[in-house]
Amino acid sequence: MNGKMSGVVAEFHCGGGGFGELSLETKKSAAHRKHETSRKEAEDESRLPALEAAYTSILRELGEDADRQGLLRTPLRAAQAMQFLTKGYHESIYDILNDAIFDEDHDEMVIVKDIDMFSLCEHHLVPFFGKVHIGYLPNKKVVGLSKLARIVEIYSRRLQVQERLTKQIATSISEAVQPKGVAVIIEAAHMCMVMRGVQKMNSRTVTSTMLGIFREDPKSREEFLALSKHI
Amino acid sequence: MEHSKQSQYSPNEKDAGSGDGGVVNGHFDTTVKRPSGGRSGALQAAGAESGSHHPAASVMESWREERTRSVEDNEMSLPSLAAAYTTILRGLGEDPQRQGLLKTPWRAATAMQFFTKGYQMKIIDVLNDAIFDEDHDEMVIVKDIDMFSMCEHHLVPIFGRVRDVGRARFQERLTKQIAVAITEALQPAGVGVVIEATHMCMVMRGVQKMNSKTVTSTMLGVFREDPKTRDEFLTLIRS
Repeated sequence: MNGKMSGVVAEFHCGGGGFGELSLETKKSAAHRKHETSRKEAEDESRLPALEAAYTSILRELGEDADRQGLLRTPLRAAQAMQFLTKGYHESIYDILNDAIFDEDHDEMVIVKDIDMFSLCEHHLVPFFGKVHIGYLPNKKVVGLSKLARIVEIYSRRLQVQERLTKQIATSISEAVQPKGVAVIIEAAHMCMVMRGVQKMNSRTVTSTMLGIFREDPKSREEFLALSKHI
Repeated sequence: MEHSKQSQYSPNEKDAGSGDGGVVNGHFDTTVKRPSGGRSGALQAAGAESGSHHPAASVMESWREERTRSVEDNEMSLPSLAAAYTTILRGLGEDPQRQGLLKTPWRAATAMQFFTKGYQMKIIDVLNDAIFDEDHDEMVIVKDIDMFSMCEHHLVPIFGRVRDVGRARFQERLTKQIAVAITEALQPAGVGVVIEATHMCMVMRGVQKMNSKTVTSTMLGVFREDPKTRDEFLTLIRS
């Protein structure tokens, strides 16, 4: 699976005008994508028994009675929930962005903010969730707004570290749309800190990645920060 | 007086935290001061309790199920728990050997044990000496108690607030357990418990909106019978 993904990402890298060729590619690979989706579903199905067995073992080791009524199907449900929460591994930017990049003569900032995000911390396998704010300065190309949210989904539905998640979102937008700059801010609550460990209810972790003009020009950065904070 | 009675307890009780039920029941009888004696008022279902004559005994039984777990149990199950989590990581297509995941099975296992540490605790240990005779007959409200639990269907967190005092199918049971435990410990004129929680298993899978909550309540005694008392309680917790 990892091998396939790097092959896909490589297509983005070939040349600045790579997107012209991309549209030809998309047509002949639509069928390929359908095949891929069902292959991934089959892969998920085949892994389910091992996951179920692991969860049954966990219930028993925690001192619970895995045969009591409320827990009978829990291993299956927990396994499926886990697969759902990590389904981003199966998805790639290529799959979702194909038609949604448009030529547009817009050179003002575009911001999509307050995108709800749910992810799993890879250190404790416990959720962290919050909001993602994305801004970019187009360079003759804009991307469909909901695609930004889809990008968040792809990378957040994985075992993650908030810093890496922020960077992955920013770099993928940068590669796909080739804008003058990208800014991503994530503000999240980590259940691993709230429910255990230091047990601080109200603390939030904020991470950001600034690329291009957002990194170099303080005024652009300030404009983004101001617009993404206020309603 | 309290202390001398406590010293009669088997020392094991305090150390291991997993005494057998019969012994604990007997001890509980003598520690808790009651306005009216009589009921054995056992909160533990582990082991037989002698001479319990609860009015709705069969109803009470189902929320007194408890499995006790000790600190030693935790240490012994850690390797198997960690192994199970390693299997899960592989089963999700991840590489358990990569740097960020190397110690994750152990961390996830200890986290899970922490989230379920209620199994190691008994009401009696928690309430211990903190029950006092007091001639107070107005409502006592403790509200906005932060609560975290695990949904037993998906093993995903539930969190919210408990508006509790002097009553999703799993959340209902939790609400009742709290209400019943307080009733048995204090024998008040009534108890009301309201839980307002977000079920991450639904929110994270897109079934539930982030801002919507599941609310369950249990009203016992005067909170159930007298609408005015219930109203007063509900108004005070909403404010």
